[in-house]
Amino acid sequence: MSAAQGRPVRRRFSADTTIDDLKAYMEPFAGSLGYKFNTEEWFVDEVLASEIGILDATGDVYCPCRMRTGNPKEDVAIVCPCIPFHNVQFAAMRKCWCGLFILNDVEDGADLLGVIEEPEKGAEVEVPVCRVEDMPAGSVRHVKVGKRDIALARVGDEFYALSNVCLHAFGPLSGGVLDGHTVVCPWHGWRYDVRTGTTDHPGADVKTYPVVVRDGLVLVVTTV
Amino acid sequence: MTVMLYALSTCPYCRLTKKYLDENDVEYDVIDVDLLEGDERTAVLADVKNLSGGTSFPVLVVGEEVIVGFNKAAMKEHLGL
Repeated sequence: MSAAQGRPVRRRFSADTTIDDLKAYMEPFAGSLGYKFNTEEWFVDEVLASEIGILDATGDVYCPCRMRTGNPKEDVAIVCPCIPFHNVQFAAMRKCWCGLFILNDVEDGADLLGVIEEPEKGAEVEVPVCRVEDMPAGSVRHVKVGKRDIALARVGDEFYALSNVCLHAFGPLSGGVLDGHTVVCPWHGWRYDVRTGTTDHPGADVKTYPVVVRDGLVLVVTTV
Repeated sequence: MTVMLYALSTCPYCRLTKKYLDENDVEYDVIDVDLLEGDERTAVLADVKNLSGGTSFPVLVVGEEVIVGFNKAAMKEHLGL
């Protein structure tokens, strides 16, 4: 994007960025979301070499397999690693779109190369949202699962997921505090049980989602 | 039967698709969409969206069939390889 279009390039990488630089930069983000680089190292190098070409041309590391529209609001969804924007779809595919990243528990990334299949609508999928160690007991945070805004709460060693939106005045429950198994909305104090989504106010219960903890990751169960 | 490949010059799967078609002596036309400019790019991108429902590449059109991604099995079947 040129300055003439009113938006300067926010260059996050130097002109001599290498494949190893990108690996070091991306690995922690992908790791915290339950992904690792593809086990096919030649393919990882191929994708990252393409991304460096795109970086030189555009100032950022866009997915080499999808087309930029020129609209920054849309294109941000394909800045690599783009896992947060597509986490339901990718969890169902067990890899990111181009296969640069695969879920931690995929042993052989070669099996997924070249396969670009849209997941079946309605299929149940476990979406990794953070590592257990990222959330202390007694905390609540906002996570995005596909387009859904979810408040993720940890009580002791148990995790709970419920809609982030309080049905009183649409306050963000993830901004509230936990009182035992109750999250208190930060706006006007409505109280929701994180296990059931129930509140004292009739007809104002919120949706809850099953949560699985596996291999140090917290996964929210939803449908595609 | 016409074979048309919509690709990105940056995309590893597009390169693999070209290599596969070349190795199998398939005659095809190819457009690297990211190398187009202005109205032409907009028009071709609209075609790709109509064909594939998205803007992910490669998109290979074999007669009436549209194959999204580097899919050897589908290419074999529809190209009769």
